[in-house]
Amino acid sequence: MRTKLAIAVCVFGVALAGWASSVSAHHAFAAEFDANKPVNFKGTITKMEWVNPHAWVHVAVKNPNGMVENWAIEAGTPNVLFRRGFTRDTLKPGIEIVVDGYRAKDGSRRANGRDLTFADGRKLFLGSSGTGAPYELRSGGQQK
Amino acid sequence: MGTSLLPFFQRLADSPWSIGLHESQYAYPIVESIHVWSLCLFFGTVVMFDLRLLGWIMRSVPISEVVGRLRPWTIAGFVIMVISGSLLFFAIPVRSYQNIFFRAKMILLVIAGLNMWLFHARVYPKVIEWDAAGIPPKSARVAGAVSLVLWSCILFSGRMIAYNWFDCDRQPQSALINFLTSCIPTEPAF
Repeated sequence: MRTKLAIAVCVFGVALAGWASSVSAHHAFAAEFDANKPVNFKGTITKMEWVNPHAWVHVAVKNPNGMVENWAIEAGTPNVLFRRGFTRDTLKPGIEIVVDGYRAKDGSRRANGRDLTFADGRKLFLGSSGTGAPYELRSGGQQK
Repeated sequence: MGTSLLPFFQRLADSPWSIGLHESQYAYPIVESIHVWSLCLFFGTVVMFDLRLLGWIMRSVPISEVVGRLRPWTIAGFVIMVISGSLLFFAIPVRSYQNIFFRAKMILLVIAGLNMWLFHARVYPKVIEWDAAGIPPKSARVAGAVSLVLWSCILFSGRMIAYNWFDCDRQPQSALINFLTSCIPTEPAF
């Protein structure tokens, strides 16, 4: 009787875990960012937070109506960024970039970064692979 | 009360050790991984013991035997969890301190400790009477069930710390949230 109860609880627990993981993918992406709200900015870097667990690139973006907005773009960990070709100094304040990503679900000026393009055309991938973020390879983009 | 601790954690956040961990290439992920591995050790042995207390598993094994064999591993796991957890906190002190899930986790930890202490002080001393019993007395079963629920919630809270749902820089938030997290609402950064 108790064995059956134990098995029932375990099966329920596993089912619950399965349902929970299908809701939020393997990572926080779906919990915080909206795959249906892609964003694309041209702006100037104001700050680079080279930190765990996620690096953040702060970008000053000029609106069509002339206002400057400060956006925060989430990137992978320092280790992941390093392996993709970034160093701590790659994104110094003042550098012009084009960045695209997916907007935060709560409407704040935050996005999960995908591709970053420098003024000279170099492209780097900001995100951590396997985040659950939709990722299509664009021509000239990084493999992986 | 909360705001008096904040400057301390802000100073901690500016220390070279904290910055070093926070910006590390390998150290932070290694500490994180150790925290998860030791969680398996600690939580695993706790679950085994609690299930025995509930009388669901290992019914032919005396409780004292289960305690004797599992306890060293539970203690070892706990020590490593505290050390790695402290390092994780120390890497990002201000955000962790103001994180509602971290605070819930700490409160639940205290309650779980209280439950363990109560069990060892009140219930376990009489173990001779029910050591061989397949199904222990109610007080022991309750202790086991409470422990299972509490530690599962602690694990869940720990995982939720990563999510920024109630982070301080996400203003405006409700006054209750700001109070519970010791947030000082200012203009949103973004």
